[in-house]
Amino acid sequence: MKKNKLLIFLFMLPCVLTLLVMYVYPVCRTVLMSLFRVESLTAGTSEWTFYGLSNYTTIISNNTFQMAMKNMLLIWVAGGVITLALAMVMAVVLTSGIRGAKFFRAAIYLPNIISAVALATMWVQYIFNYDYGLLNELLELFGLEGFKWLGSDSKFWAMTASFIFGSVGYYMLIYISGIEGIPKELYEASMLDGAGKITQFRTITMPLLKRIIKTSITFWSINATTFFLWSKMFSPIQTEESTVVPVIYLYDIVFGGKGIIQRDAGAGAAVGVVLTIVIVAIYGVMNLLVKDTDMEY
Amino acid sequence: MTKHRERINWKKEAKLLPGYLIVGIWVAFTAVMIGWIIGASLSTSREIFSGTVLDFETGLHWENYATAWNSQNVSVFFGNSLLYATVSGAGVLVISAPAAYVLSRWKFKGSRATRILLVISMSVPAIMIIMPLYTLAVQWGLKGRILLIVLYIMLRVPYTAIYLQDFFATLSRSYEEAAYLDGCSPIKTFWKIMLPLVQPAVITVTIFNFLSVWNEFFMALIFTTSADMTPVGVGLLQIINSMKYSGNYGGLFAAVMIVFLPTFLLYIFMSEKIISGVTGGGVKG
Repeated sequence: MKKNKLLIFLFMLPCVLTLLVMYVYPVCRTVLMSLFRVESLTAGTSEWTFYGLSNYTTIISNNTFQMAMKNMLLIWVAGGVITLALAMVMAVVLTSGIRGAKFFRAAIYLPNIISAVALATMWVQYIFNYDYGLLNELLELFGLEGFKWLGSDSKFWAMTASFIFGSVGYYMLIYISGIEGIPKELYEASMLDGAGKITQFRTITMPLLKRIIKTSITFWSINATTFFLWSKMFSPIQTEESTVVPVIYLYDIVFGGKGIIQRDAGAGAAVGVVLTIVIVAIYGVMNLLVKDTDMEY
Repeated sequence: MTKHRERINWKKEAKLLPGYLIVGIWVAFTAVMIGWIIGASLSTSREIFSGTVLDFETGLHWENYATAWNSQNVSVFFGNSLLYATVSGAGVLVISAPAAYVLSRWKFKGSRATRILLVISMSVPAIMIIMPLYTLAVQWGLKGRILLIVLYIMLRVPYTAIYLQDFFATLSRSYEEAAYLDGCSPIKTFWKIMLPLVQPAVITVTIFNFLSVWNEFFMALIFTTSADMTPVGVGLLQIINSMKYSGNYGGLFAAVMIVFLPTFLLYIFMSEKIISGVTGGGVKG
């Protein structure tokens, strides 16, 4: 087919412009801004003063940012282990030949389809409610006292639990597609050798899913690092120590949260860069641990 | 699938019992949660607090929906989100589909770089771009609904282009050759012949764009500056924040239902297509 230069130019132009305006320019400017003293986003570049790495030292020594990073790490590790383990269990169950697998699969994925704001509201206003919430009704059924799930001690875990509930379905679908890609003969052969379900999972499913597990860990890391919505929904008006995460901190210092006197766009940009470095680092480590060429079957 | 229904093998089913329990409890929990929210959206605040939501002693309070829709502004939020999700869904196709087609057909200077850039852009976190975008919007005087529409179009371009490119690549070149011999211009060939051929992929990617824009929250929160441009997510947050003063719990749950229903109904009718699309597109092991 003849190469039509005009056609290529016309068809590519809007897409390339979008990439430049929406991604390339903003990312470069954010990185640059993290090295300058910038108070307001609307300030022109002439008002920027070079600041070296001071924005980074400012945020790293900030109490709220430290707390936010600690919470993020906890969501990443604890939430990640639980979510991915649950997703794997569901995926194995749904591919084990149970009846109604299609229905269960659709129902478990459902929380990913509905507005997360609506889902979070269901958890905050119903499941965890002190007066009429599901959990306290269940406790009452067993003659136990109601518990303040959204008290400052347990709020973080309440938030993480509901986030896990909303995430499991997505990773389950990724694992199901991985398991369905494994040739059935492998299971049949091992069954003839007398291998049980658990042995099969350990010796066939897990090793062959390495690459898919790597993908899921990378996705989870991006989601945990850019965690925002659930924290906002669990502490909607004022940022709280128990639920603060880096993106909330960024939002507060750049766009003004309650109790923030001085806005600091430069420090906000530094938060963004730090989080991006975290994501890239995780991605790099995952690639070192699991080589793409490892898995051929 | 055999024509006759497989007879239940009880021994086999008993072995699977733990599996049934795990997914059964999970799904039952989801059903109870949604069922209760439906009940609460039709109850009074008094019934909600006394734990008699599903008794409907005072009848079904449909007026909760009317209150939410009219006096809590949900009609405005709903209309805005519908506008954002549909208009940007169309806009993103106009930008992405031609590019996806060209990328799948020809190698040219910068084609490889563009492909890589598309993939990277898809995983760039929003926090890395929103601050300069905010500055640009102020400088260019872009505000109101048009601002969010433009942002959502550009936000969905990388995903849509990558998704469609895979499908264009599977089409045979004989279509273009035949069209060329018939004297059809390349641009017309694309719109009249090639794009309709990938219609199933266009539908899937448009559903995903709709869901993603309907549920988008972060950008909406930052760029929403007036009540008349507020989408559902941010609107719901505002309703929750004013609950302390209004105390209308029935109205709150009705608002939750109104935000929940559109994507839920879409999912009921399209769950097969959506589920196969989740792992069919960007996600590759």
